[in-house]
Amino acid sequence: MPSLFCRFILLIFVVFAVVPAFAAEEFSFDLDEFEKKSLEWGGYAELKWEHTDINANSAFSLLDSYGDPRSSLDRFTTTLQLDGNFNKGVVTCNWTVQAYAQQDQEEWADNADIFDAYASIKPTPLATLDLGKKVFKWGKGYAWNPVGFIDRPKDPNNPEEAMEGYIGVGLDLIKSLPGPLQTVALTTVALPVWRDVNEDFGQRDNVNLAAKLYLLYRDVDIDLLWYTGNSRTTRYGLDFSTNLATNFEIHAEVAHIPNQSQKLLTGDGSVAIHEFADTTYLLGLRYLTESDITTIIEYYHNDDGYTENEQNRFFQLVENADRLYQASGDDALYTKANSLSQGAYGQSQSGRNYLYARVTMKEPFELLYFTPGLTAIINLDDESYSLSPEAVYTGFTNWELRLRVSLLEGASFTEYGEKQNENKLELRIRYFF
Amino acid sequence: MHKRAAFLLVFLVSTVLVTTPVWAADLDGTAILRQVDTNLQPQSYEMYRKLINIEPDGSKKEFVLYSVKKGEDKMVALFLSPASEKGRSTLRLGDNMWLYIPNVGKPIRITSLQSVVGGVFNNSDILSLDYSVEYDALNVIEEGDSYLLELKAKTNAIAYDRLKMWVNKKVKVPTTIECYAASGMLIKTLYYKETKDFGDGLVRPSVLETDSPLYKGYKSVMIYAKITKKELADEVFSLNYLARVEELR
Repeated sequence: MPSLFCRFILLIFVVFAVVPAFAAEEFSFDLDEFEKKSLEWGGYAELKWEHTDINANSAFSLLDSYGDPRSSLDRFTTTLQLDGNFNKGVVTCNWTVQAYAQQDQEEWADNADIFDAYASIKPTPLATLDLGKKVFKWGKGYAWNPVGFIDRPKDPNNPEEAMEGYIGVGLDLIKSLPGPLQTVALTTVALPVWRDVNEDFGQRDNVNLAAKLYLLYRDVDIDLLWYTGNSRTTRYGLDFSTNLATNFEIHAEVAHIPNQSQKLLTGDGSVAIHEFADTTYLLGLRYLTESDITTIIEYYHNDDGYTENEQNRFFQLVENADRLYQASGDDALYTKANSLSQGAYGQSQSGRNYLYARVTMKEPFELLYFTPGLTAIINLDDESYSLSPEAVYTGFTNWELRLRVSLLEGASFTEYGEKQNENKLELRIRYFF
Repeated sequence: MHKRAAFLLVFLVSTVLVTTPVWAADLDGTAILRQVDTNLQPQSYEMYRKLINIEPDGSKKEFVLYSVKKGEDKMVALFLSPASEKGRSTLRLGDNMWLYIPNVGKPIRITSLQSVVGGVFNNSDILSLDYSVEYDALNVIEEGDSYLLELKAKTNAIAYDRLKMWVNKKVKVPTTIECYAASGMLIKTLYYKETKDFGDGLVRPSVLETDSPLYKGYKSVMIYAKITKKELADEVFSLNYLARVEELR
């Protein structure tokens, strides 16, 4: 009997030891599963939990709560993104829609947006006509794109996330050539701003024009960009990227806006519109080491941003607003500060000079599909910063798990010292289908 | 006189026989390499492949790719599966490589040494051009029923500095390739297996396996399901076209 038991144990052991080895050798590939269909669709469902410790004394906490901020906030968010396309002959219809619902201790919020929905007409590989809402994503920068003249601003903390586009008509022409100039491509876009159409782009009742000329000259990608119209002022851009070695890429962007304007809090406390010529630029690199560590570094000069002195004035205004409100209940200064915050001092990266650094290590210690990383965004003028270590695991097919911590550091009257959050812990689980 | 003539004849024949192995050894590595390329794939084609990463415990992760290639240095690969990667495409023009991710919405430059799929295969394995385009044959010797070619990268933009390629003498396709860094370190070994008739005269291995001392116990496999000739416009191989590669299928 013991010998039978031993044989049984041995058999189980052999089966478990051998099956994976056989399994590994069984390769099959049924091509019928991947036949092209007219209708293709997919997307992801996401669950996110965030715990945020609030910096109760910061300017943006006071502004948000009129001097009565909470100490922490827990938020659950569920997101569903659906994308797809329908192809018939030379016409393809594409769409991406996203909906989310979130609950925290203070409120419930939900929203649904059409990120893009457009028809592409492609009579030849050389030409495409796009009609509808589309995301363009111009520029070579990873965290910021000064030349993204017809794009919404990116979130440098999540630069790879889908964004909402604008409604317009675009024509794309491509020509490949022999010789050092290998490719020439011209993209032109007409972008109207009417009632209920692209209203958040700029002034209404205008049709704006934008163009991008792309050149692949030798091994360098070059874009020349231009925008004109009455919704925003005319602007010009140039970007390039190239590989200096198999593991070393550099890129740069420069945008020039001859007539730019911004809301400014002056020394005497009044609000003025400052008009100036704006030259914003970005210099970046991407470097891969032999041990598979990817480093992205970008320097961003934001001519649209505020100097340290200008930001100090705003933070002082919020401090004064809180004193006035606590003493008398008068919220006049809070109202003024809120108005200045919107689209001006309250924008993410409202300063002048930034350094972005992101280091990720692919599959360390032979842990397949595991990628730890660290992202830093530093305001070089006031030396405040955010630091975000993270870990991403994609080992389960179609699942992505990301754990991220964000730590914000800075003295008072500095950008990151006056943000609403002190730190944040975030767990995100995403399932692709 | 007859004896003399007979001696001369014997001497000549002997000389020929003795020197013949020397001629055989004087092989043209470049010609063999070109023949290998011709036997592996047509100049312009479309192809379906499955990539399988196998972990030491036997668990697998699979990717399905659709690729098109034109001429010596133009290639595009599109991920069809799994859903998390679907729609991603990679473009290679000579030494330049870009990755397009639908959410990101614009192509970014990548390097040949990176891997968009994880595991042992890197981008240069997935977007591999003809060997004779990337490598010079430095030396060739005979080893049993194989030729052993020693190859050196033409530029430092190529992922592997040197290759040792064993080529089946009879059918002139590779059986094993060792890939070395400039430092002399063995990065990985590729094994071509299971010859299959793909039609139109193309008979070649249908499975490519790889392992690496850098990933002990891990293995990656590439299965070729379909390789057919296809005429393509040059403009298909441009950044502006990357979002539309699916339309070529």
